[in-house]
Amino acid sequence: MTDFLLCKQDEIQDGKGRAFEAGARTVAVFRVKDKFYAFANKCLHRGASMCDGAIADGGATIRCPWHNWTFHLESGRNVVDPSAALRTFRVRAEGDQLILSV
Amino acid sequence: MNDISRSGFEAAKPVNPDPINPKIRAMEVIDTDFHFTPPWPVIRNYLAEPFKSRIWHYPAVGLEYNPEPANEKPGVGQDSHGTAGTGAEALRVLDQFGSDTVILNPGYNRPMSIFSEPVLAAFCAAHNDYMIKEVFPVSPRLKANMMVCQRNPEMAAAEIRRVGNHSQFVGVFTEFSALYEQIGNARFDPIFDAMRGQDLVLTAHSGGWFNHFSPMFNGARTWVELFGNAPIANAIVHLAAMIMQGLFDKYPKQKVLFQEGGVWWLSDFMLRVDEFYVSAPGDIALTERKLAAGERYLRKLPSEYIMENVRFSTQPITIPKNPKHFGWMLELCRAGDLFCFSTDWPHQTMDAGNWVVEHPGQINEEMQKAILAGNARKLYSRI
Ligand code: FES
Repeated sequence: MTDFLLCKQDEIQDGKGRAFEAGARTVAVFRVKDKFYAFANKCLHRGASMCDGAIADGGATIRCPWHNWTFHLESGRNVVDPSAALRTFRVRAEGDQLILSV
Repeated sequence: MNDISRSGFEAAKPVNPDPINPKIRAMEVIDTDFHFTPPWPVIRNYLAEPFKSRIWHYPAVGLEYNPEPANEKPGVGQDSHGTAGTGAEALRVLDQFGSDTVILNPGYNRPMSIFSEPVLAAFCAAHNDYMIKEVFPVSPRLKANMMVCQRNPEMAAAEIRRVGNHSQFVGVFTEFSALYEQIGNARFDPIFDAMRGQDLVLTAHSGGWFNHFSPMFNGARTWVELFGNAPIANAIVHLAAMIMQGLFDKYPKQKVLFQEGGVWWLSDFMLRVDEFYVSAPGDIALTERKLAAGERYLRKLPSEYIMENVRFSTQPITIPKNPKHFGWMLELCRAGDLFCFSTDWPHQTMDAGNWVVEHPGQINEEMQKAILAGNARKLYSRI
């Protein structure tokens, strides 16, 4: 497991996502109020960039920008097909910085 | 330097990832279905009189319940990924998706439900003239299917004769659904007569769901029933008419590209049309074309016409979770010969080309090339 320094917390807007290259992975990081979520950026369906997706269901899910597949932010699981799950990663705040563990 | 950076974390790099597989950008890609929607003021400007001064808005059309509101995302089913109405806008999307060449389909919502045939024919002419004067000159990468008044075969034929020799028109756009009589019926032969010798491909694109007046329509409730699956039933019925009513015996060189009617039913369809035909070919002789030709049977087995005359665009492809099953389905449906890649941009179920190159165990390099461009090149003599 490697820790990566992402950016300052306020560099990700509430309700928005950003993508980061962390080693060999591309990870989408989303902010919902003061919570941050990180998961594999590539949608399981046809490969859209999840960082361009939209937060839905009052901040509980992330919706893919191409065909609306919707995943729980906490677990990465698809809301109607739990066998389809985005890989999630731990992201934590240290001071005003965000640290991603991959 | 702050505490964190001193502590020796590796730095992650902010990126703007390209969702298109780099292999797609390196290969030739022909997108055979892209919905191009010129703005209404532009079309109005090209309308002939008296239409130009009497029609103020593009008509709100559509005979059937449209299931789009069932999906949260705005514009679902239609222009949910954007709108392109100029050559420059279309090129921008081609570059975004790694496509080299595109065949632009007229993208209006179900124009054939404009019942006035002269009004519809005027829209078609305006659209086609705009393509010729303002869109085709922008780039040779832009090809198109011409828009015709499908309701009236003579009017459609006149439009094909009027503009069909423009080299960037590669085909004729028609729609299939339960709203339309099968274009494989002999009543539509004026269209095929006009296309004969011009090397134009007939595009048969899904164009609606079930008719309002059908109990099957009235019983449907959901987007998946109507948008997801009704086009499959419609495509099967329309393709069967083309074959069984002797379209390809009368016009052996005519090529047809089916769009958005699904593909995986093909393996069953090919077996079924052959087996039923061999058992009961008696009424083939009574179809209009066979009566006129004095012929009793089809000249080939029904499935053979598919291999020779019919192709299928791929969007929206569905992919089983078991890769072995995917390989079998591709083989049973002769994907290497019959499938032509399409995005259907900007509609909600739009496909990028990723899926073609991301299953190398099932779609080898040769088949990737055939699906992405090779089969379309063979189909369209004007590309
Ligand atoms: S690519 Fe994400 S839902 Fe299709």
